[in-house]
Amino acid sequence: MATTAQVHQTKWWSGGKSPFNLEYGKLMMWYFLMSDAFTFGAFLISYGTIRFSQNFWPDPNVVFNAFPGAGHANLPLAFVSVMTFILIISSVTMVLAVHAGHKNDKAGVVKWLGWTIVGGAAFLGCQAWEWHHLITGEHAVLVDGQIDLIGQTMRANPWGSLVPHESVAAALQKTPHETLVALAHQSNHALSHEQLAAMTDQQLVNTINIDALHVRSKGPVAFGGYFYGITGFHGFHVFSGVVINIVMLKMTQNNVFQNRGHYLMIEKAGLYWHFVDLVWVFVFLCFYLI
Amino acid sequence: MQHPAFEEVSFHHHTDDDTFYKKVKKTTILLSIITVIELAIGLIIYNIHKGESPNELLVLMFKGMVCILTLAKAYYIVSVFMHLGDEIRNMVMTIVVPLLLFIWFITAFIWDGNSYRNLRNNYDKHFQETTTPAKGHGHQDKHQDPPAGKQ
Amino acid sequence: MSETSTIHTGAVHAVHHGDHGHGHHEQSFISKYIFSMDHKTIGKQFLITGIVWAIVGGLFSVLFRLQLGFPDQTFPILETFFGHWAKGGQIQPEFYYGLVTIHGTVLVFFVLTAGLSGTFANLLIPLQIGARDMASPFMNMLSYWFFFLASVVMMSSIFVHTGPASGGWTMYPPLSALRQAGDGQKIGTDLWLIAMALFIVSSLLGGLNYISTILNMRTKGMSMTRLPLPIWAMFFTAVLGVLSFPVLLSGAILLIFDRNLGTSFYLSDIVINGEILPNEGGSAILYQHLFWFLGHPEVYIILLPAMGMVSEILSVNARKPIFGYMAMLGSMFAIAILAFLVWAHHMFVTGLNPFLGSVFVLLTLLIAVPSAIKVFNWLTTLWRGNIRFTPAALFAIGFVSLFISGGLTGIFLGNSTIDIHLHDTMFVVAHFHIVMGVASFFGMFAGVYHWFPKMFGRYMNNTLGYIHFWVTMAGAYLIFWPMHYQGLAGMPRRYLDKRGWVSFNQFTDLDKMITVVSIIVFAVQLMFVFNFFYSIYKGRRVMTQNPWGANSLEWTTPINPGHGNWEGEIPEVHRWPYDYGKDGREFIPQTEPVGANESKH
Repeated sequence: MATTAQVHQTKWWSGGKSPFNLEYGKLMMWYFLMSDAFTFGAFLISYGTIRFSQNFWPDPNVVFNAFPGAGHANLPLAFVSVMTFILIISSVTMVLAVHAGHKNDKAGVVKWLGWTIVGGAAFLGCQAWEWHHLITGEHAVLVDGQIDLIGQTMRANPWGSLVPHESVAAALQKTPHETLVALAHQSNHALSHEQLAAMTDQQLVNTINIDALHVRSKGPVAFGGYFYGITGFHGFHVFSGVVINIVMLKMTQNNVFQNRGHYLMIEKAGLYWHFVDLVWVFVFLCFYLI
Repeated sequence: MQHPAFEEVSFHHHTDDDTFYKKVKKTTILLSIITVIELAIGLIIYNIHKGESPNELLVLMFKGMVCILTLAKAYYIVSVFMHLGDEIRNMVMTIVVPLLLFIWFITAFIWDGNSYRNLRNNYDKHFQETTTPAKGHGHQDKHQDPPAGKQ
Repeated sequence: MSETSTIHTGAVHAVHHGDHGHGHHEQSFISKYIFSMDHKTIGKQFLITGIVWAIVGGLFSVLFRLQLGFPDQTFPILETFFGHWAKGGQIQPEFYYGLVTIHGTVLVFFVLTAGLSGTFANLLIPLQIGARDMASPFMNMLSYWFFFLASVVMMSSIFVHTGPASGGWTMYPPLSALRQAGDGQKIGTDLWLIAMALFIVSSLLGGLNYISTILNMRTKGMSMTRLPLPIWAMFFTAVLGVLSFPVLLSGAILLIFDRNLGTSFYLSDIVINGEILPNEGGSAILYQHLFWFLGHPEVYIILLPAMGMVSEILSVNARKPIFGYMAMLGSMFAIAILAFLVWAHHMFVTGLNPFLGSVFVLLTLLIAVPSAIKVFNWLTTLWRGNIRFTPAALFAIGFVSLFISGGLTGIFLGNSTIDIHLHDTMFVVAHFHIVMGVASFFGMFAGVYHWFPKMFGRYMNNTLGYIHFWVTMAGAYLIFWPMHYQGLAGMPRRYLDKRGWVSFNQFTDLDKMITVVSIIVFAVQLMFVFNFFYSIYKGRRVMTQNPWGANSLEWTTPINPGHGNWEGEIPEVHRWPYDYGKDGREFIPQTEPVGANESKH
């Protein structure tokens, strides 16, 4: 770094040069990211505002406790930590791609950019699974004195506070047949769906183990809106980042940057990608940890 | 030394490979460790909530710790991965100073959100009764196993 | 415009960044005037689109003033033009709310944001800092075309069957979030939201370009403290836009979700037409917070460019250095910061926490300090100057007058206790129209008259300019001054018909007078538009490079600069731009090296 002396000698602000020693494109990318930080900031702060205006908010460890292939096992935070690590690692591979670009090392850029794309795609896959799981999940919720099975959507939230056993027992008496069948199926895998469907309501209620059955009241609807809205907006950024990276990969392979003599575009794509990782750090904090 | 493509750039940074890889490796490990600590705290909070009467102050303290750790993570990503730490000081300031606006942005919004809840609890008894978790079987999970769910 | 095309210098020297430098080649009509990447052409595109929108917005205000001034009368011609919107020659309630909404939206965003800073940032930044073009001419072009697209969507919303958005320019939910709330809440509001999203993209592309151009592309010697004040103003404007528009985008996205996906961000406990909506847990105040987090900086986005241009024009035409250049910078900086800290003073009566409100009162009143500094600097710049009363100078002086009058009423409204009485009355309408609307328009007019020779190589007609100034100046005060009294008497804004209140009967004649004056003022603006377009083709030709005897760099370019601005090397800068009346010389251009015996300024 022979540049330290130069940094002090140069009259940065006297015109005719960039005061930050940065080409305009990188400067624009930085300020764009700053502006995007305010978009995400506004979303997350809105989420905080609504959360503070509620008396009850679901515990993230209860909501996010599933893992693909792990069935009903209670694994709070496990899957999201996988997602977080995927994103961190893809950020590292991006750093390496940018570094390879500095050295005009085309093969290196292709290799590391390729891995970054893989990481991004993997993250999107994880997010798709998580959304699917939450939307199609069937959770017992006490609605108007009877039990209903609802998933986590933009309009409904099944993660209210736990309903005491006495109320559950009373509610079961009023719950329609189909719901009882589904509930019985969840606690008793020995019997087939058809066998259960043939039983009377009272028999079904007797099959259901009330101690193992967790019935909740309806939770704050805003939870789903914010969760899908913000992780969706972040996912959209990941998706566009992957698209940008694919374009960069193609351009690298076609020697566009080699002929241009520099890989500055990769640096800008890299900044964007790291920003996506940065946002996830905060989404992770706001939705999964606190 | 003139940059080949941009005349506004006065000279180019050069970092030798060894220092660079060492730095990236160090940062990756650091980020991983912080994330693991965060997850551990998340689980601690989960277990506190499972208890009979969770200590809200303790939970708040742990949540504060995660927030600080997250800021540390953000610092490392921006400073090392995004190379902001290598830029000229004034450039760093143009990024950091506007972010200070978030302080009042967050404070005022959260403050008013909290006030909105208090107002409704005071003047909208129905809201208070229907949304406040009853004591005893409140929002804490006393059970080990997960709520009924379909895979 | 024909002259700009014939005197195409072609001396576009290797543009500052080699990777997409333009060689000299004949440009087609499309690449020269339509998809142009020349900052000057893009500036003109913004200006002309802005003028079209200003006519639409102004016409709308005349229409609803007709209703407010003459609620008893019918105007059959309105029915001819607007059909069922003006049944029986009377403006219908839905139409009235649509008019008010589109008037506000269009003038705030499309005219005074895009039309004002879009025009002059594009025109002046490269010319005054000594650059061949914007940092990214392509993104600059995109910025205009996104604005154009936003304009198309907004314009189309006026023609849909159920009418344009009519929830007020602030588009507060729950009204704006519920389709069943009225005709204007149907497709019109969707189009409004889409147009605003496109507008935000446009303003972001523009703003990023302005910031990086000002930072990176200054010519040799053009240090930040040698920048002309309009450039500083545009710089702060761009920063405000880049940091605050995204927050509006977030707010708008959440509103789109509430409208279309059944979420409850802003909705809770609503019964409409006897139907109980399932939404719960949202907060309408949250939208207002998000909106005003942009909305307040937005008023400075509108005002700052006008302030900067007025500073420049006053100094040039008073033939005196600007008084307190550094104080001007400092106060603009302070205004830019405070702009982000005061948003909730628009929300004192919404159910905002009163104690939080008192913090916002304190922060709001602080703005008076930098504002006053600026006012005193303008006045002292004029003091004992050899003022040339060109139309531009008159409009600049008019700006100062309006800024003072409108600013003072801001102190009333910034106090939450007084605001309880004044909120949502005509007092507010008077305040923001004078301080932000008309004042910024005056800055814009001043800029157009002053830089018209640079834009088109011709002058605008002076006589028409003087008529324009005096009628508009008198008209602005005649229209808005009485509204203060109406507001103090409690007359609400946005109401279609106030005949039902005996207490407001005393204002019937006053309202008539306001309406008549606004029609006259609108007609005079049309005269300005005529002057503008007529002068483009037939105006008196500019014969000297520097018609106003100004110091800044744009007057060192050829009379009709081509793409690339300077024919030879970009000139180097040796001094600040305000050496007027120094050492016995009337003006010393920035390009002149500092002499050995020169006095310090």
